[in-house]
Amino acid sequence: MNFLLNTGRTIRQGSYVERKNSDAYKGEATSLYMHPVDMMILEIEEGSHVRVESNQGDVVMKVHPALWISQREVFVCLGPYANYLVAPETHCSGMPDFKSTMVTITPTTDLLVTVAELMERCGGVRYED
Amino acid sequence: MKIEDVVCTFCGCLCDDLVVEVDGRRVVSVENGCTLANEKFMGDHRLQSPIRRNGKGWEHISYDDAIRETAEILCDADRPILYGWSGTHGEAQSIGIHLAELLGALVDNTSTVCHGPSILAIQEVGHPGCTLGQVKNRADVVVYWGTNPIDAHPRHMSRYTTFADGFFLKEAFRDRRLIVVDVRKTESANIADEFITIEPGGDYAVLSALRAIVRGKREIIPPSVSGVSREQLFRVADLLLSAKFGAIFFGLGLTMSPGKYKNVRNAIELTEELSRHTKYTISPMRGHWNVYGSNEVFTWITGYPYAVDFARGIAFYNPGETTSVDVLRRKECDACLVVGSDPGAHFPKACAEHLARIPTIQIDPHTNATTHLSRIQIPVAVTGIDAEGTAYRMDGVPIRTRMLFKGEYPSDTEILERLYTLVKEAKGP
Repeated sequence: MNFLLNTGRTIRQGSYVERKNSDAYKGEATSLYMHPVDMMILEIEEGSHVRVESNQGDVVMKVHPALWISQREVFVCLGPYANYLVAPETHCSGMPDFKSTMVTITPTTDLLVTVAELMERCGGVRYED
Repeated sequence: MKIEDVVCTFCGCLCDDLVVEVDGRRVVSVENGCTLANEKFMGDHRLQSPIRRNGKGWEHISYDDAIRETAEILCDADRPILYGWSGTHGEAQSIGIHLAELLGALVDNTSTVCHGPSILAIQEVGHPGCTLGQVKNRADVVVYWGTNPIDAHPRHMSRYTTFADGFFLKEAFRDRRLIVVDVRKTESANIADEFITIEPGGDYAVLSALRAIVRGKREIIPPSVSGVSREQLFRVADLLLSAKFGAIFFGLGLTMSPGKYKNVRNAIELTEELSRHTKYTISPMRGHWNVYGSNEVFTWITGYPYAVDFARGIAFYNPGETTSVDVLRRKECDACLVVGSDPGAHFPKACAEHLARIPTIQIDPHTNATTHLSRIQIPVAVTGIDAEGTAYRMDGVPIRTRMLFKGEYPSDTEILERLYTLVKEAKGP
């Protein structure tokens, strides 16, 4: 099912921003907010994992119901998980389309990945304290 | 020991009324701060010493080795980029720009993925802004467009708008009218007198419709504009025009949505239309605590606020070409120095992949997503806790941040000064 991905700040994302390798940050940055009617169509429950895919790649997120978002739109706080899906095209403005990425969402049983694992997928080497 | 009037170095509000209790090198309590401030001051998640990637693992190294190796990487690069700067103080930003000039590097700050488009709009049509003190004391109509201050700037409403009593507004919560415009019903929208839900990408059209109404062209407005009914547009326009002093604040809902800087230009031009009838101002809600300062310092030294390229030996500015995301997308740069920012988390995946491909060095107190992409990370003191320096509030007011205690980490300024000296020696006279 296709959705428009919107990203932005949340107070929890801001709270954990200096602990980006923590479980708390991972929990917030992988939280995907979806209208309950869309969840019903996808036959998923609160806390279900979904695979979110764009033309840039795919990443697993956890669904939360939200009445404050319209149907066929989803919201994820800004961060490495959302940006894994965002194209680098800026239309000569310097600014990517952080608030208007088309994604396909399907239910999955795959696990969430950590920020370190996500950065390894980008070619990095995991650092652990 | 309790220290009063402490400046919070988290968001662009730069709240300067915190009371912080310190015990030696530890913050014990924070009064007057929001959730974000409490996390900032009470957090204890620093990287202990410089680290260097060693094959598939990491090793701890000395500051001397880390700085020397960083200088060598930057000197060896043909197209280095120095990125970030909004999470450090102005003195460090200044050294960073001089370092970029010395290296012939491209230097860019986080505005590039924040309010860069707002700056482009301001360069086209100007900025009818004011200080937050003016808003607090005068504004009887406040608009938040594409921004959610309750989450992103938690004390903005209590210090300057909805909940802040002012000289001409003795009971602000009753006397001020609040309009929130967004694509989703945020926490801020829940307390608005008027909430406008716009279809994604519809900001430009709604701004144009409001401009037309303010110009007296109500008859040309269609029944619905980007999901907003004509009746609501008329009601909102009347509310805007009823102000003695109106203040519009806008966020990334305008700069990141389709239209980008043209959205902001249209919002500024709506402000000008409104000011033909009454008094209006407009200001961006700046995110990082010193992102405004990075624009100021860049402009003093180079003439341009961000995305400055010294490859030609002179300052060259062309957003869309010299902006970080574009340079990384084109795989153009061959080394990167990151200061006070986390592009690994906040740039698109393709950019993160290029940062992993090239030698990336990060100067930051904490590990973050960029750590895993880097070759070297150098931990530094946190400005406002164990380092001090000048920052600019979101309305352009410079505020001196304070050092609460002398810690064990060097400041950004100290590291960058040493780096500059080494690069200058290597480059010769």
